[in-house]
Amino acid sequence: MNKKVEPKSNKILVSESVNLGEEGLKGQKVTDPNVMMFESEREPNFLTGSEVIKAAIKRANLDVMIAYPITPQSEAAALIGELFAEGYVREYFRGESEFAVMSQCAGAAFGGARVFTTTAGPGTLRAMENFPMWAGSRLPIQVCVTCRGINSPLSIQPDTLEMAYLLETGMLVWHAETAQDLYDWILGGFMVSEQPDVHLPLALCCDGFFVTHTKDTVMLQGEEMCLPRYDPYRSPVPCMDMECPPIRMMRDPFIMKSNYISYMTHASWQQEIHAAVERSRKHTLPIMNGSLIDTENVDREILIVASGTAVSQGREAIRLLEEEGIKVGLVKIKSIRPFPTEEVREATANAKTIFVPEFNIRGWLAREIKAILPNNERVIAGPHVAGGMTMPSEVIVEEIKKGLGIKSATMDRRG
Amino acid sequence: MSKEKIQLSEALEDIMPSEYQEMVATATFGNEDRSWKDIGSSKELIEQHSLCAGCPESIAFRYILSSIPAPEDTVFVGSTGCTSLVFPMVGVQNIHSLFGNQNAVASGLKRALKVRFPDVNKDVIVLAGDGATVDIGLDMTMQSWFRQENFTTICFDNELYANTGGQESGLMQKGFVSKMAPMGKKFEKVRLPEIAFEAGCHYVACLTVSKPNRVEKAIRNAVYVAREFGPTYVQLYTPCILEIGKQSMEGLDEMKDAEAIGGRFVMKEFMTDEVKEFLKEKDAEQKARKKAAKAAVSA
Amino acid sequence: MEQYVVKPGPEAFLPPAAASMGIVLPDPGEAHYEGRIIDEEDAYEQIARKLLGAKVPTIFPGPLVLWKWNEKAGKKAEAIRELANALPARLIPMADYRPKYPKIDPEVEINPNHPNLTIWHNKIDACIFVGVHCHQANLALKIIRGGTDCFTIALCAQAGHEDACASFRDINVEKIKKLTETVKRLKSEGVESQALPFTQIKMTRAGRVA
Ligand SMILES: Cc1ncc(C[n+]2csc(CCOP(=O)(O)OP(=O)(O)O)c2C)c(N)n1
Ligand code: SF4
Ligand SMILES: [Mg+2]
Repeated sequence: MNKKVEPKSNKILVSESVNLGEEGLKGQKVTDPNVMMFESEREPNFLTGSEVIKAAIKRANLDVMIAYPITPQSEAAALIGELFAEGYVREYFRGESEFAVMSQCAGAAFGGARVFTTTAGPGTLRAMENFPMWAGSRLPIQVCVTCRGINSPLSIQPDTLEMAYLLETGMLVWHAETAQDLYDWILGGFMVSEQPDVHLPLALCCDGFFVTHTKDTVMLQGEEMCLPRYDPYRSPVPCMDMECPPIRMMRDPFIMKSNYISYMTHASWQQEIHAAVERSRKHTLPIMNGSLIDTENVDREILIVASGTAVSQGREAIRLLEEEGIKVGLVKIKSIRPFPTEEVREATANAKTIFVPEFNIRGWLAREIKAILPNNERVIAGPHVAGGMTMPSEVIVEEIKKGLGIKSATMDRRG
Repeated sequence: MSKEKIQLSEALEDIMPSEYQEMVATATFGNEDRSWKDIGSSKELIEQHSLCAGCPESIAFRYILSSIPAPEDTVFVGSTGCTSLVFPMVGVQNIHSLFGNQNAVASGLKRALKVRFPDVNKDVIVLAGDGATVDIGLDMTMQSWFRQENFTTICFDNELYANTGGQESGLMQKGFVSKMAPMGKKFEKVRLPEIAFEAGCHYVACLTVSKPNRVEKAIRNAVYVAREFGPTYVQLYTPCILEIGKQSMEGLDEMKDAEAIGGRFVMKEFMTDEVKEFLKEKDAEQKARKKAAKAAVSA
Repeated sequence: MEQYVVKPGPEAFLPPAAASMGIVLPDPGEAHYEGRIIDEEDAYEQIARKLLGAKVPTIFPGPLVLWKWNEKAGKKAEAIRELANALPARLIPMADYRPKYPKIDPEVEINPNHPNLTIWHNKIDACIFVGVHCHQANLALKIIRGGTDCFTIALCAQAGHEDACASFRDINVEKIKKLTETVKRLKSEGVESQALPFTQIKMTRAGRVA
């Protein structure tokens, strides 16, 4: 039912069994994530998205990273290899395919490790069978998905269509707009997805190239800090290391006998996965500044609702429209699963027209929004670009003017 | 986990099912020289399961579980197939995730356990069907060997896809008529033991499960060598009596026929010279341990 | 929309997960009762009263306390036994989570895949889950709510269970003892246990002896 959760403490809950101050890797100090994320001093750094992924993982007290090359995540995956060589990651290797990599990640997570990997486009789809398995088995693996095209003909260029395939896997799915989001959410993501009441995989998505390959100023904490280590004995399911009961334990036994009891158990199991997605809301609030969405001027009659870099383009379009006296507000959706149903409803309550620009041809985000809003004829799906096209702010301006019935000349000269 | 940790909380011990009380009292955890010969005198690490009556996979499981050297520190990785009907009933933690990805899962698992327990030897053992090992999972099976992962792969070779009703598999004999091979299989049984050795396995054995001594030896060799050298592979003929039309009593005869001279499963072993030496030493150690134990008993 | 209340069933063919109905787990220092967040201090008495008022109060200890895999687990088991004695309540183990073949004996065990069988068989009207892994507990709690009228209580060592009718979080030996003390205090104040007479089950290696 996607209820909104009110922030109470705005603190990351940390396991009592964590020894703060303990040594992490390379002499790093295990730090309360609240101190690390919200209180410690940060310095500006001018980095590419790939370098930002490396910077976050350096502070993540990571056990295992498994890599496989595919543009546009190859650079990040290789940079984490450098971290491993330096001693900031405990285990690292290249798998033989994304399907294998995601299964290797599963094996490591079953064995009680904190696991990170990266993939993109065809890699995401090659690996797909693993994702509902991860979620069903409650494995809190984090995969950074640097979105790119998926269909033939082949394209390495940015396109967010692959995210649509992740939505019903039972994973948490977040969509970073900027390198700063990416950095903060990688670290925060471990803290959310490893909570015992959540304990689910996280697909941390960003738009390939636009985020991974452009440089941006990112505020980073000192390198002397790292997250507390993952504690597998708080897991909602037994860790497969023969150190905890029950030892007569298969993760996970088939539930498929042809009888009502089996059907019921499987259904209950599936509900529990999605319940865990819901539980993540509370833990995500501190990571995402208190809400699963950001809003700007949502009292206006025209709104742009977007996720990922479409938000940045929308923001620029709003500036351009403002110059012409057209006032538009903005909703940035940060978490796609769980979906901020009530937040978006509230934010769009007064809107007469809602535009949803997307970097994919099908408009899955617009569909999500239409499904939850009253009077959803207010939602105009678009503009859409795909296959690596940029989305010039003027295109959004044009779409909005067209939607409002205002004549516009801006795009006339484009071929 | 040490044997000492496999015990019940005293305050609740007397409500635990008898099976677990028996397991704590008599299962052979913590005894490196455990053996199939303990069957009968100690609690087996396997409970009632739903394989077909007389399925040789059942006896294979019992021999393997009674002879692995350190069940208290072993984690199995399985795959979809008839074996997964047994795994929930096995007193050693085990993983099933998908069909065919078992060697990938085991690679991640073994590495995670090495990271988490640098000073403890945790044995990872893959146990999967021939379809899982040789067909859908062949890539991951072989890649784990190329990468020299430190775990044992056991294949229950019943020469077909049993769990889905008897379809052709890569380990099926040429000419065999089955579902999806309506005119008989067109190509030879894949020579996986040879391929395994070539792909980097340090110890390879292929045999039937008709003789517990042999199975025990092969499994122990494979586990020991996997700890010290790298990947090892054991292929066991466990005929699917249901799909080849045998009675529940006929599994043993089928295996005996197959391992007789000229049969498909004449026992074979491949190993490097280094491994041969190592196993000799292991044997000597075990003999010495047994002798010492005997002396202690009679003293 | 009306606030969902986590009440005993039988609720539905397939009852929803409480989390999907907007029930949020307690934060440290809190508990929940029927889905409402309450102060942990208040929870002791509410839960103790519920247990004392039941005809067949039953504790389902799970693997995390049945096995002495660390010192704490053994101590928790002792505290659970004391609670069972103080109430009095039956003890029925959830020894593991496997779908059992051919079937369980619902009189002496409970299984997360069909916990309703044990509830129905023993006519259990209030139960405690303790030492059960959270995922398995939630599976079972939902099935119980779906098909039985049993009031479920979770003494959870982690974040608590919104799928139970009432739940503590961060449970430890001290808190279990405090619940036992509360039971004893209420009894001394004249609250009588409504439990029907029973004999605690007793198993040996050879089989059931009581
Ligand atoms: C991705 C996928 N493809 C197909 C199946 C169907 N499937 C389940 S078990 C099985 C056959 C298993 O054969 P084998 O590995 O030889 O084991 P056996 O049952 O013979 O012991 C197949 C094809 C599946 N579960 N998943
Ligand atoms: S189908 Fe074949 S392999 Fe499977 S349990 Fe029956 S006899 Fe054994
Ligand atoms: Mg087979």
